[in-house]
Amino acid sequence: MTNLEKYNSVFKECFMIEEIQLEELIYQSVISWDSVGHMGLIAQLEEAFDIMLDTDDIIDFSSYKIGKEILKKYDIQF
Amino acid sequence: MIYNSKLLVGKTAFVTGCNRGIGAKIIEIFAQNGANIFAHARKKNINFEKKLKALTLKYGVKINPIYFDLIDDIEIKSSLKSLYKDKVGIDILVNNAGIAHGGLIQMTPIDNIKNIFQVNVFSQLLIIQNLIKLLKINKNSSIINITSIAGIDAEAGSIAYGSSKAAFIFATKVLAKELIIDNIRVNAVAPGLTDTDMAELMELKAKSKMIQSSGMKRIASTTEIANAVLYLASDLSIFVNGQVIRVDGGI
Repeated sequence: MTNLEKYNSVFKECFMIEEIQLEELIYQSVISWDSVGHMGLIAQLEEAFDIMLDTDDIIDFSSYKIGKEILKKYDIQF
Repeated sequence: MIYNSKLLVGKTAFVTGCNRGIGAKIIEIFAQNGANIFAHARKKNINFEKKLKALTLKYGVKINPIYFDLIDDIEIKSSLKSLYKDKVGIDILVNNAGIAHGGLIQMTPIDNIKNIFQVNVFSQLLIIQNLIKLLKINKNSSIINITSIAGIDAEAGSIAYGSSKAAFIFATKVLAKELIIDNIRVNAVAPGLTDTDMAELMELKAKSKMIQSSGMKRIASTTEIANAVLYLASDLSIFVNGQVIRVDGGI
């Protein structure tokens, strides 16, 4: 599985959404991406990529697109 | 009385404000009970490191000093980030460091109040925020916030200090609800007047009034406060969460 596939898969599983929704997905744009959902997403991403996100990055992780940029800081290439 | 029951064997603690007073006693009692410790102080200090070394040798535990100033968010973050290199789980976080202040509202510049809140509330929350991941690792962790009865009993002259400790008590209760999902308990100890340098700064009249209002008519020793912290840090308090334990001799 590529990093992109892993990344997409975490989003789809966490928020019960379709691939087509991902590109435009931002925090709170779907009901499941609330504050509790956010922490679940972070935990799943950390497990999937074996990383520990900094607090500032967790706060800044406000969309699918921005999330990819943040993960690049942890040597996750897409 | 100091108990030596090895209650913390195999646990790692992070304690702020260990250079003197309650914090110094907490690390002594934690070391005696077998905990490995990250001991925080504001500035690098040879005497502090000598004391840590002596505890290490006496109790056969690991104690590492860590330095940052609670008024400097960037310094706090970068110091705590260094702990993530080894991904060592932290089982116990004691937020002990704080500053005292006394004064009526009309004699307290607002910047002083902001400064007290920065150290006694905001920096404490920043520390918790930045250590949560390490506290999650071992699935059974305890955060103990050192507050004060000044944050519970409103007294004239405690607008800055008392309000900051009241805020920290409220935060303790909120965090207890938020973090228990990750098996992190959050409790507070609220000491009464305690035999520390901080107590020496109090006006004599206020100090005497506080002693007289204590059921036991005396001030607490640092050991008496640290023992309450030991209880909350250990598995003896495994079903205790979101509580504030007054250690004040009964007021």
